[in-house]
Amino acid sequence: MRKLVAWALCAAMVLGLAACGDSAANGGGSGSAADAATGAGAEEEAPAIDESLIAKDGINVCIASEPDNIDPALNSSVDGATLVLHTFAGLAKWEQKEDGSFEIAPDCAEELVEGKENEDGTVTYTYTLRDGLKWSDGQPVTAGDFEFSWKRAADPATASDYGYMFDQIAGYDKMTEEKETGEKDEEGNPVMEYVNPDPELLAVKAIDDRTLEVTTKQKVSYWDELMAFPTYMPVRKDIVSNEGWATDPSTYIGNGPYVMTAWQHNSVITMVKNKNYHDADKVTMPAINFYLSDDANNMLTNFENGDWKLIDEVPTNEIASLKNEYPDEFVVTGQLGTYYIGWNVNEDILPKDSGLEGKEAEEARAEIRKAIALLFDRNYIVDEIAQGGQTPASSFVSSGLTEADGMTDFSSKAGHNDGYAGYYDVSQDALENNYAAAIEILKKYYEFDEATQQVKNFPTLTYLYNTSEAHKAIGEYLQSALASVGINMNLENQEWNTFLNTRKAGNYSIARNGWLCDYNDPISMLDMWITSSGNNDCQLGKGAHKDVRAYSIDLTDLGYDTKVTDGTWAETYDVIINDIKSCTDTNIRYQLMHRAEDLLMSTGAICPLYYYTDLYMLDDSVKGFFSTPLGFKYFMYCTVD
Amino acid sequence: MTSEPHPLSCETLQNGDYPLMNPKTITYIIKRLILAVFTVWIVFTLTFFIMHAVPGGPFVGEKAISKAAQQALEAKYGLDKPLSAQYFTYLNDVVHLRFGPSLKQRGRMVIDIMMDGMRTSAKLGVIAAVLALVIGVVLGAIAALRRNTVFDRIIMVLTTAFVSMPSFIMGSLLLVAFAIKLHVLPANGAAAGGLVLPIVTLMLYPMAYITRLTRSSMLDVLGQDYIRTAKAKGVPAPKIIFGHALKNSLIPVITYFGPMLAYIVTGSLVVEQIFAVPGIGRAFVSSIINRDYMMIMGTTIVLATLIVVMNLISDIMYKIVDPRITLE
Repeated sequence: MRKLVAWALCAAMVLGLAACGDSAANGGGSGSAADAATGAGAEEEAPAIDESLIAKDGINVCIASEPDNIDPALNSSVDGATLVLHTFAGLAKWEQKEDGSFEIAPDCAEELVEGKENEDGTVTYTYTLRDGLKWSDGQPVTAGDFEFSWKRAADPATASDYGYMFDQIAGYDKMTEEKETGEKDEEGNPVMEYVNPDPELLAVKAIDDRTLEVTTKQKVSYWDELMAFPTYMPVRKDIVSNEGWATDPSTYIGNGPYVMTAWQHNSVITMVKNKNYHDADKVTMPAINFYLSDDANNMLTNFENGDWKLIDEVPTNEIASLKNEYPDEFVVTGQLGTYYIGWNVNEDILPKDSGLEGKEAEEARAEIRKAIALLFDRNYIVDEIAQGGQTPASSFVSSGLTEADGMTDFSSKAGHNDGYAGYYDVSQDALENNYAAAIEILKKYYEFDEATQQVKNFPTLTYLYNTSEAHKAIGEYLQSALASVGINMNLENQEWNTFLNTRKAGNYSIARNGWLCDYNDPISMLDMWITSSGNNDCQLGKGAHKDVRAYSIDLTDLGYDTKVTDGTWAETYDVIINDIKSCTDTNIRYQLMHRAEDLLMSTGAICPLYYYTDLYMLDDSVKGFFSTPLGFKYFMYCTVD
Repeated sequence: MTSEPHPLSCETLQNGDYPLMNPKTITYIIKRLILAVFTVWIVFTLTFFIMHAVPGGPFVGEKAISKAAQQALEAKYGLDKPLSAQYFTYLNDVVHLRFGPSLKQRGRMVIDIMMDGMRTSAKLGVIAAVLALVIGVVLGAIAALRRNTVFDRIIMVLTTAFVSMPSFIMGSLLLVAFAIKLHVLPANGAAAGGLVLPIVTLMLYPMAYITRLTRSSMLDVLGQDYIRTAKAKGVPAPKIIFGHALKNSLIPVITYFGPMLAYIVTGSLVVEQIFAVPGIGRAFVSSIINRDYMMIMGTTIVLATLIVVMNLISDIMYKIVDPRITLE
């Protein structure tokens, strides 16, 4: 028996030496060292990347790690959206004009029609599909496919993260109406159920194979943009009836510019041009390898050695040097979203002996929170810490979101102040004045030591953020800024999923927060603060704040008979948001949105720090690439020199 | 000089004493198997309850979905039932080797994701283990035979460095040197040739350990009386080295077999992350971040079983090569 073991060891030795020799010989970078040694063992080899095709004319890029789901209805990530947009074609698509600006152009639709207003205020759009549209397997694309797909994506049973993208279509509200069942779950929360979860309620209908009719609740300013949104892409019923269809290239059938030919999970997705795409002549990039990685350092290595032509993430601590080293290839574009600090409005920050109650107490807290927002040097945060070309923020609704004219920045009109945009002046020059103003307010409520210029009895705060070097660096800056006026703030980090849970449940005093928009309309940032919203992390209108009567609105000048004095959050903010959602006059609608933001910012619960940017590195040999304001990346019109 | 035959020399086994056939050994193996099942069950149970006690859940995202939608999803995957009921349902599934669907990558089954990762990880792990063993034994033997020469010194310095350097530092160093500075190997584990660096990173520590182990045990054996006797009897040197010395000095190496595989399994978590190797280690880490309960349980069970089984095999092999060991 011992001889057997000795033989086994000898055999292993020979085998191993063979592998050694191989790896030495092929050290130059073919995979055969690894393959040779396992040889027979690895019989079920994943399909190889078509190196010849990619090497000749294709492009290697890395936009993110393995997507959770690239079923158009279920995807909720920006990188997943890019993949969906390369394999599916909706009624419309994004295009970049010569001057660099973007437009929404018809894709499957012959043209992007204007809606026809009905007597009840609803709007009906009737689209005609192009003739001869085909799926990548050759079957015809019909209006019925669109009807099926939209109903499927909006269907509560699908439970899509982006189901609400259909909320402007008539029937959606009825379909998603919820009621309490009367039961409680293990944590004591009421169990909810849908009243009529019937997707057929959604007002979209295929009149014939080429005509699609859809009715919206009112005129929607960003409707065309929705037609180019991934959740609105068509899928075919017989394909998606197989639950795992979107995880396997052989069943991932689309109607877009590319066909997925291989998916090595967690490593690479390969796409080649789809000959059946109606606009295939315009597609200049024959093949794309989407490498899947979640490691920014790894991405950078591959970019630097020329393997990958675009990487969508760079290591934060390398940003400064990359900007110098690759001035033309390090790209910063605007992104619709805001990085901010959120306060839990139910956390008392007044001194114990303040003697204030109810409305006075809430107004005092709001004033203090706003004062603290004045203490931070946003230019320092952007230039020295974040370093990604971000813009200091003075409002919650992100820069880049436009007014009704589609040109003027919504944030430039926010706050209604002279001399600066937004709710406070974030310029470098205003720093001293802001600081002095903040001190004056803090003096009103706290004991103040003139000698040290510090407050003495401010309760200790704990700043909660999700574990990340970048968030930590910002937290440390905020901590030091507050320490200079005598406020102690501890830092606490939590792992992502735990952090989300803590923040949603309101178990924090002050926390890092951020929001990226799904479409170019300020409502996508404002409606998240209504009382019942699942994203209302500041707990406005929740818990003890539910009964605080500290808010007043007057919409009579805009033609509404709404005038509330000392109302609750639900009686004021929720009402404005409802009015916005049903408003058919675009100008009034935008004025209402400014009112909503005014009310939101008056609470001081949100302290914006900067507007997000999208950072990526693009090899200068690549031409014709673009990225939309929502961060969707388009490789189909690329060429590589 | 009277000398008894060394207990490890060939003579001791001449009377047909095959350890595996020994009823005592069989009882031992059965006992160990029962213990192994018990161990995996304990790991299963602890992981299950700890995982559910950690805040967050699979359907929590930055953008909240509606309460009813969340509850509908929970009902779909049976997460709405009391924890104890979920536990027994899942235990029953696992006993029947049903690992269920992934909660995060909707539409994919846990078993498929694991098989995908396993294929890569197994390739990585097996090659690393074999290389570590072969190179380690060869270098160790040479170092012992050339004791106190320059060659021996160099090997000892290098192996000391490799043993004391954690894999994340070694991995990063290799990455910088070969992928960034020299451009000879890809940094991405998924690319062609991408497994070379991760294999080397994973291999160096056990290789260095085995080298040192072989060297010292070989030196020990070379000093034994029976080697001297063999030399005196005029047995040719290669036969002494390969037939007697090397064979017997491999015993400690075999005891290291179990710990080495455990190191390779756990080490691959780090190495796969550094080189973006799409293996099971990386799938395991991301399943925890995502709270993909099904995936966490699936990978935990598979990895735990792997380690338990490897340890068992290592113990049995130990018994086979060294009859002095009694398995109890």
